[in-house]
Amino acid sequence: MDSYDDILRRGFDEYREFVNPLIAQRAALAGEPIKLVRAEGGVLYDDEGHAVEDFHGTQAFGHRNPYIADAIRRYLDSDAPSWYPARVNPFAGRLAKRLCERAGHYDNAFFACTGSDAVEAALKLARALTKRPRLLGLEGAYHGCTFGSVSLMTKGYLRDPFAPFVEGAEHVPFGDVDALAKALAPGDVAAIVVEPIQGEGGVRELPAPFVEALCELTEKHGTLLVADEVQTALGRTGRGFLATASWPRRPDVVLLAKHLGGGITPISAMLTKRETFLRAYGDHFASGESHNTTMGFNALSCVAALAALDLLTDERIERVGRLGAKLKKGLSDTLARSPLFREARGAGFMQGVALNSPDHPWLSFAHFGFEDLGQKSTISPLVCHRLYRRGFFCFTCGHDWSLFRLQPRFDIPEEKLDAFVVAVAEELEYIEGLG
Amino acid sequence: MTRLLEGKRCIVTGGTRGLGLAMCVAFARHGARVALTYHKDDASAEDAKRAVAAAGHEPLVFKGSVADGAHVKSTVAAVVSAFGGVDVLVNNAAITQVLPISLLEESDWDELMDVNVKGVYLYSRAVLRHMIRAKRGSILNIGNFASERIIESPIHYAASKSALRGLTEALAREVGRYAIRVNLLAPGLAEVGMAQGLPQHRQKEYLDKCPLGRLARPEEIAEMAAFLVSDSNAFMTGSKVVLDGGL
Repeated sequence: MDSYDDILRRGFDEYREFVNPLIAQRAALAGEPIKLVRAEGGVLYDDEGHAVEDFHGTQAFGHRNPYIADAIRRYLDSDAPSWYPARVNPFAGRLAKRLCERAGHYDNAFFACTGSDAVEAALKLARALTKRPRLLGLEGAYHGCTFGSVSLMTKGYLRDPFAPFVEGAEHVPFGDVDALAKALAPGDVAAIVVEPIQGEGGVRELPAPFVEALCELTEKHGTLLVADEVQTALGRTGRGFLATASWPRRPDVVLLAKHLGGGITPISAMLTKRETFLRAYGDHFASGESHNTTMGFNALSCVAALAALDLLTDERIERVGRLGAKLKKGLSDTLARSPLFREARGAGFMQGVALNSPDHPWLSFAHFGFEDLGQKSTISPLVCHRLYRRGFFCFTCGHDWSLFRLQPRFDIPEEKLDAFVVAVAEELEYIEGLG
Repeated sequence: MTRLLEGKRCIVTGGTRGLGLAMCVAFARHGARVALTYHKDDASAEDAKRAVAAAGHEPLVFKGSVADGAHVKSTVAAVVSAFGGVDVLVNNAAITQVLPISLLEESDWDELMDVNVKGVYLYSRAVLRHMIRAKRGSILNIGNFASERIIESPIHYAASKSALRGLTEALAREVGRYAIRVNLLAPGLAEVGMAQGLPQHRQKEYLDKCPLGRLARPEEIAEMAAFLVSDSNAFMTGSKVVLDGGL
């Protein structure tokens, strides 16, 4: 086995050479912390010892959470099989039971490796169940990178290169109740997939009237309501285990991923009702296996997810809600004096900071030598660039570069969030001074 | 192969990676005894030590910043003590940072100038004390096409590399009377170094304009460096040699 020291030294260059030079270059040009060589106390450290607080969201329990790492270690030290040829996997069985109990309402689970896999599973479930052709997504959505998920997304660099898309996939304008009603009216829509809060779309929460209409109209027309909770579930919004638990009607299908594997192993889940599963796939033994994955039910990922569920206590989620509200207020109050600030939005530890673009030409992508990005706002990349230097790894929303999003780990110290608010204020003032 | 640097005692700053390492290896292959310096990456220094040893003699390796006068002085003293003198200095250590002027901070400017320009002055002064007494020696400064050719490059980097041209010409005049030669080698984009940080579309623009249509290989630049500092090139001083595939 290659030594870790050697991998952590040369692997970064090997990534650039053998994996994706463009990602490596973009990260370097943006000034992102790249050479991250260790994790301690949930925080990352680069090769010069600088601490980096990761706001991506996959690491809700902090990098290399010791409880989850220990669960994985104990499993590897056991003699339990890791893969079950009959596919009847006891670890998947236990995880499904625990997940359904924790989520409430649902009593059937399917496991895969990524959020995109879960979306794909939902689309196929909907087609198998309803035999209908149309699949709806919302404008501004992000659902992943498989053809099904990409087809649900609207125009942009994450979708455009891959045409033609899955037949029957269409889009509804964000929050437009009339358009939704019109789209569902023919009764030929298998499913509509929505994010309770769009992440890449700019941390946009679905308006309450739209959610009400969604719940009512999908039931009326027999369309499967699929909530892509890859970003919002598992306590992220501070509103409970699932963000959709308080909707007027629980979605027919809920999709989970991100920190389900504790930030260490890949795993995603589709939760639904047993009756729904059986209506779609219950005709005979063959149909019961018509959608499956080889490694989606692997025991190691299930063990990590079971440990993650242990950590997702009501108290921890309540803290996310409380500190998230404080963070939002802190950002709103402190940044209000900056002409670059528009609003802080989102819920719990899924927040976005919306900004105005600087109007000075020397802060444009054209001036930076990226004419092809001329129409995009530079403000979020600029703020993120400045925040990297201060040890905060924030992310520009993929569909809207005037926002950056922050999804801190659940146990982040309160004073770290306070320091973050001060850092954003100072950096906005700095950028304002450049214009 | 003619061994151009048989017995020469050479210092190469920034000698553990990229072009610096290629020069150390080439010099060792040409018979030189090499001392190399580096700033941070211990693991790369270990690799470099092995590579240079495999090419000839085991090198002396020194860790420290070229912008630190005390470190420079002690390094040169240690090399002179170990080798009995110094015949060649290659001022290769440099940093770059891709930033437009709007985002360039004073501290960025100072840090880059410290390494890319002040470091050259400090090392040159430290070795000249010995070279002038010996009445022989060769200094090669590593510039860059960014100082001359039309390509968008960070202004502090371009300014630092342009500064080396003036430094080279002035120093060549000052020390020519002691038979010490000072030259500047300005490579184009190579397979190592700055090209790796250049966006793909910029690299493509460069290659479209380059008659040879490719990036330089580090060994090609290193071979030119070996010739420039060798006695076979005894009459060239104050000159700039551009190695850019005909750009």
